[in-house]
Amino acid sequence: MTPHDWYIENRIAYVARALEPSEERLFADHLSRCEECSREVARLEHDLGALPMAVRPAAPRPGLTHQLADGVLRRRVWWQRAAPVLAAAAAIVLAVGFGVRERAGRAALETALAEREREISALRDTLSISRDARRVVQQDIAMGGAKGGLLIFDDQTTHRWNVVMHGLPAAPSGSVYQFWFITQSGMVRSVELRCDNNRPAFATLEMPKAPGPVMGAALTVEPAVNRSAEPSGPMLAHVQF
Amino acid sequence: MESQASLRDRLVARDERALVELIETATPWLLGLVQGMLRDQDEAEEVVLETFRIAWDRVAALGDEHEGLMPWLFRVARNRAIDRIRRRGRSRRKTERAEALGAVGPSTTPFQEPDESAQPGWHVHESVHAALRELPEEQRRVVWLAYFEGLTHSEIAKELGIPMGTVKTRLRLAFDKLRAGLAPIEDWVR
Repeated sequence: MTPHDWYIENRIAYVARALEPSEERLFADHLSRCEECSREVARLEHDLGALPMAVRPAAPRPGLTHQLADGVLRRRVWWQRAAPVLAAAAAIVLAVGFGVRERAGRAALETALAEREREISALRDTLSISRDARRVVQQDIAMGGAKGGLLIFDDQTTHRWNVVMHGLPAAPSGSVYQFWFITQSGMVRSVELRCDNNRPAFATLEMPKAPGPVMGAALTVEPAVNRSAEPSGPMLAHVQF
Repeated sequence: MESQASLRDRLVARDERALVELIETATPWLLGLVQGMLRDQDEAEEVVLETFRIAWDRVAALGDEHEGLMPWLFRVARNRAIDRIRRRGRSRRKTERAEALGAVGPSTTPFQEPDESAQPGWHVHESVHAALRELPEEQRRVVWLAYFEGLTHSEIAKELGIPMGTVKTRLRLAFDKLRAGLAPIEDWVR
């Protein structure tokens, strides 16, 4: 019996959540590295997707559905609150990054910065969530004539990483923007980011359960179907934590 | 009932009416599931709210190749309910289960509306029940304790007074049969 046989035998138990907590953590860690087990677990979850429907529906108490809708829509997540100022921040980054070269003059830069003083002030207030961030990394991205960027900062309150992609057009037809974590054991696929010129993409992510520290992140353009475990498309951004 | 894919597309487009429709359709089922697991109506409603918040925030990350919207909601809600159950600690859970068994039984939460078969998704419920009925009682019991009560292998073994190896075998056999039994409603899962 190989060590991997244990994982094969316990795929169903993992999906059912019948593993002991320590085993569950071990299995989850393995999933981040084993494509075969990830695929089989996803297949099991798919095959058993209807099982919760075994439980009979329960009538919500009067007013509950309205409260739920209200509870979801009234709570604006951090990036929705911060979106206008993030866009302003992106504009400032672009002004600093590209305006210097294009206008080639200190006066032009001062004018651009002065115009955005109000946005900077708002940014300081609204982006309080990033004020406690231990690390903030940003990289400019140029694609198809568009100039955007990738902004990543940690949230010490929730221990998550917040990712913002802005200023890029929608991904070319048949492809997607794919975010990756760079770990000691290789690239770990994270989320797909959907962005267009008018709407930045935001994601709040947990660090992948890969062995060793996460060393960085990358953004690539990948085919929308038949995606591989490793990046295969053009690399748009590559940042080191 | 609108297809899950269509509803998901509208949610991705930030259509608030789609969110309301999703809540109206999915709440009775989610509530039935997590209320049965948690045995606490307030906590169950909190989990359902958390689930819809996650759906609203993250639905765009659900690609076409992923599972359907309802199975995804169920998975989020069930995992969060199990996390809460495990945080409570074992002794309280055992008491709760004993009380719950005496109160409502292990498999149902009362549905107050006169015609529950009119509930969207009822045909899926019936199909899943049929698949569960095909299992031997001892396997069905293990599935219930693991999947719907959130018990681990060792907790099930203790609960039923059987060796842990028997629990694992029964669970594996039962889920293999369920995968085949649920295949006819596979379209609903997409």
